[in-house]
Amino acid sequence: MTAATQATTSTAAAAPPAVTIRDLTIVYRTPAGELPAVSGVDLDLPPGTITGLVGESGSGKSTLALSLLGAVQRPGRIAAGSIHVDGLGNLVELSAKSLQEARGGEIGYVFQAAQNSLNPLKTVGKQLLDLGRSHGVRDRTALVRSAKELLAGMGLDAARVLDSYQHELSGGMRQRVGIMFALVLNAHVLVLDEPTTALDMISQANVLKIVRAVHTERGLTTLLVTHDIGVVAEVAERIAVMYGGVVVEQGETADVLRAPKHPYARALINAIPRVSGDLSAARPLPGRPPTLGTIPTRGCVFRERCAVYAERQLPACVAEQPPLAPVADGSGRLVACHAVAVEDQQATGETA
Amino acid sequence: MIHKKRSLDGATRESLDRATNGTGTDGTGTDGTGTDGTGTAGAIEARGIVKSFKARGDVLAGRTVRALRGVDFRIPPGGAASFIGESGCGKTTLGRILAGVESFDSGELVLGGVPLAGLAPRKRAPHFRRVQLIHQDPYSALNPTRTVESILRDPLALRAKQTGQSRAWIDGRAREVLDLVGLDPGYVLPRFPHQLSGGMRQRVVIARALTVDPAALVADEAVSMIDVSLRLGVLNLLRELRSTLGVSVLFITHDVATARYIGADGELYVIYRGEIVEHGPTETVLADPVHPYTQCLLSAIPVLHGVEQPGADRLAPTEPLDESQPEDGCLFAARCPFATDRCRTEHPELGHLGGTAHEHACFYPQRRSVVATPLADT
Repeated sequence: MTAATQATTSTAAAAPPAVTIRDLTIVYRTPAGELPAVSGVDLDLPPGTITGLVGESGSGKSTLALSLLGAVQRPGRIAAGSIHVDGLGNLVELSAKSLQEARGGEIGYVFQAAQNSLNPLKTVGKQLLDLGRSHGVRDRTALVRSAKELLAGMGLDAARVLDSYQHELSGGMRQRVGIMFALVLNAHVLVLDEPTTALDMISQANVLKIVRAVHTERGLTTLLVTHDIGVVAEVAERIAVMYGGVVVEQGETADVLRAPKHPYARALINAIPRVSGDLSAARPLPGRPPTLGTIPTRGCVFRERCAVYAERQLPACVAEQPPLAPVADGSGRLVACHAVAVEDQQATGETA
Repeated sequence: MIHKKRSLDGATRESLDRATNGTGTDGTGTDGTGTDGTGTAGAIEARGIVKSFKARGDVLAGRTVRALRGVDFRIPPGGAASFIGESGCGKTTLGRILAGVESFDSGELVLGGVPLAGLAPRKRAPHFRRVQLIHQDPYSALNPTRTVESILRDPLALRAKQTGQSRAWIDGRAREVLDLVGLDPGYVLPRFPHQLSGGMRQRVVIARALTVDPAALVADEAVSMIDVSLRLGVLNLLRELRSTLGVSVLFITHDVATARYIGADGELYVIYRGEIVEHGPTETVLADPVHPYTQCLLSAIPVLHGVEQPGADRLAPTEPLDESQPEDGCLFAARCPFATDRCRTEHPELGHLGGTAHEHACFYPQRRSVVATPLADT
């Protein structure tokens, strides 16, 4: 089904666009030379789906999300790869001017901690007009009208919000204002960076419900970046798990949560305390997440903390980073692990 | 001796350095009450704590925010109490009052057997050494220009001076507290905070709190900024400190699952607009909540689809939180899906549920299945 929609999206403007990231490498210049924050990442955002990108600090998830805006800042740069968005082409090759139009236009971005991304000196309405001006919107009345529609749709008193300064709004309201800014120019790709981090449980549940609703209503392709697997579990159909600059596992959210295959994904899911069931099932993950300078340059990025490597010591784990490859069970799951690949080979060998 | 204590108090208040503020035994000695951290004397007890804030600024000037409206709780030595609630419900204020960084308007706070309400603020201070606050943000709680060794040395040096210990004791104790929090002293001592991960930093913060031999730690969202894979390690550490050192933990969070992990054997308090609306043994309240507010909170916890199934009766508040909502009846009435006229006019008091330890403040307590449960293995 996905393949069929993919083929038609480039022509039909109404259908949600597909986003295809291939072999993307983003490096940061440091005193120790250029170090990759994202290395050789392949990621598909199927049209009309919400994909959750999960990772810890330093995993490269926010850098990857920023690259969708063409907004990787110096000292970072995209060293290789492509980001293809239907209707826009390869973002890596776009001119500065077309990129600027795409940002906030076709691609909407909701920043982490919306309170820091709103201007404290201007009302929301003024900032809306600024946005319109910077994108050459002629019809201001229509702009305000669609902003009001969006705000009202998210359960806010639109007129009041447009007249408010950011400090007059609660955290959950600011986050909804952020979503309005991302979508008011009719974006079809929505990127949300940690949209609920500063919120309490009830506000988080409200914001997630709204994300889900606008996503469906407006036919979006959505990427949700977070460290919180619960958030992904609640709203995303697909999940991609990042570690040390690479995607280590990708698949349907419920499948991955039920039976994670990559040792990191498994350990991460096991490290979450639950509100019911056996408490002792939660297990901490030894070691610490790597930073830009400490990501292993050779071999698997997760090797040092990996329980499977500790037990089996596969030479391949030391030699090279395993590629993100489909697993043999035909579920469409992608996993980057030598041990999983070996098991798959053995399993298929036995059945053959 | 009293004079000496006064001058020390004055000096520490000027330096505003809470971590080094420790004249515990001196101070209580003059009051003639025992302070050894055993038995009921080590318990922390709060009765009817009330705290209001006067809003400042042009727009809100004069408006009073009632942060706490009479809160009671008790934590035994080595026990755990978790407070959960929305932003603005008063849980952070409560932690700050307990740690002595904030005053309270009325009510009684008993630390180590000593009632504090009647004491002058200056005399209260030494008792608050026994309660140390662990902040949410380990990135800003440590001085970035100082090594871990220097961070730990100051409170230890003062402690050594008070107890007549040698310099060698300071070094030994610094290593000891780092050992206690699971850090390798040789690795950590010479390092600056930026060279450590979030989890390690939070452990250093906890180690610093332990330098003054506290009876209790107040952990205010202590793991929410720490990477998921490291969180459990810090939570396990807090659990260990409870059992090995008998330190009580007051855990303030909106993350119900971490509250359960820390204090499954402790007490859970659900706080709403400065009032406790439900309380009981943690596992009881989570398994069988009866107050609609608790039920709304627990319903909002994300469900791990594929591993868990959502509760059948999940519910949400009908309105967002607004401090201007009426205070005549039940404080939650304006947002409650089940509110009746009685709820809007009469204020429900906290009472026991059928003679059990489970307390609630609702006229119509009813069990609802709102928490996600593990799916059976297929």
